[in-house]
Amino acid sequence: MCRLTAIILLLRPLEVWWIAPFVLIGAGLSLIFPAAAKRPLLWWSVAALIALHIAAIWPLSDNHIYLLAYWCLGIGLALASEDPPATLARSGRWLLGAAFAFAVLWKGVLSPDYLDGRFFRVTLIEDDRFADAVMLVSGLTPQDLVANRKSLEPLPAGAELSDPPPLKEPRRFRALVAALTWGGIVLEGFVAVAFLSPKPALLEHARHIALLAFCVFTYALAPVAGFGWVIATMGLAQLRRDQGMMRVAYLSVFFLILLYAEIPWAGLLDSWVRPLSP
Amino acid sequence: MAASNAAALPAVILGIVASGQVLLAKLDGLSPWKGGGFGMFSTTDDAGRRAVRIFVTAPGRSEELSIPPSLADIAERAAVHPSDRQLARLARRVVERERRAARDVSEVRLECSRIVYAAGTLSASTVPTRVFTYRTDAPR
Repeated sequence: MCRLTAIILLLRPLEVWWIAPFVLIGAGLSLIFPAAAKRPLLWWSVAALIALHIAAIWPLSDNHIYLLAYWCLGIGLALASEDPPATLARSGRWLLGAAFAFAVLWKGVLSPDYLDGRFFRVTLIEDDRFADAVMLVSGLTPQDLVANRKSLEPLPAGAELSDPPPLKEPRRFRALVAALTWGGIVLEGFVAVAFLSPKPALLEHARHIALLAFCVFTYALAPVAGFGWVIATMGLAQLRRDQGMMRVAYLSVFFLILLYAEIPWAGLLDSWVRPLSP
Repeated sequence: MAASNAAALPAVILGIVASGQVLLAKLDGLSPWKGGGFGMFSTTDDAGRRAVRIFVTAPGRSEELSIPPSLADIAERAAVHPSDRQLARLARRVVERERRAARDVSEVRLECSRIVYAAGTLSASTVPTRVFTYRTDAPR
């Protein structure tokens, strides 16, 4: 776990220039010197530096930076305990359950525009990072997206157009919105329950499969590889020595997320498929 | 420290921070996407749909300033969390910048807004969320 976490720290360095070098040095040391990776102080220091980063640029840090800080603290605490693997597994399980529980709380209860589909309808049209996947799945063209974005340009408060330009939302687009909205909250809710359940043995395989499925589907679209790497590493930390296949699955997903982040797969696929469509 | 306590501590801290984020988002205008509460991908109320406009006033002068690159970071922080502290910080930086350029400032007014989409039609409108006034002659 220490090495994978160090790789995460190296793959996405922190943004604050006077903190990042110390985190990179800590991550580098833990990769080069296995003995250093076993020192709780190294991980507590990294956790403290990440916390300092969060404070330095408050409130702009993304949520996975917080999760990374908690995880590094957990590694340090586990290394200082009598049974590091068991302590780290428990720590990861509770962190995963809590993070997903708060994500579900926001989506299902606190946000006014998630369950009615507004969030994904707007995001899939406006966020250019989703454009390739949206065109691939929904059949919208680049021109459709441009026209839809124009329709979503804001008016001053109280103003209303007499003849607003219509949004083009074909059936496949609506289906994609529904799948992302409801699939997202159901899967996240299941992950939260499965990892927080006091009887985890009953859900042992199901929770791993749910977390792996979440990573495979979510990070194919969502441009936040850092979050995916952290939760995949936490999932991996739950495994016993005899769960070799699941270990391979988590490591594969870790690298799949890296490939998602580096290869514009949806754009390539769309450029191959679109000429074939009627 | 007992193993179970050691394992629980990070999740307890997560719970405290995330609960605080919920309160800040609901009571103090923090964007749900930020602050460690895991509200990302749950709402259109993100940093990209929030804005702060800057107006400066002085004798013989009243104008809106575009946000210069040197203030972009601090303006983004103020948009994401338009608290008194963040807004006062932005206003002070505006005053410092104006005075360095030998331009008089007696008041800085910051207007915060966000884009809201109507249910169903997705008709978008800019909704003011807060107006903050900073007077340079006010006692601190």
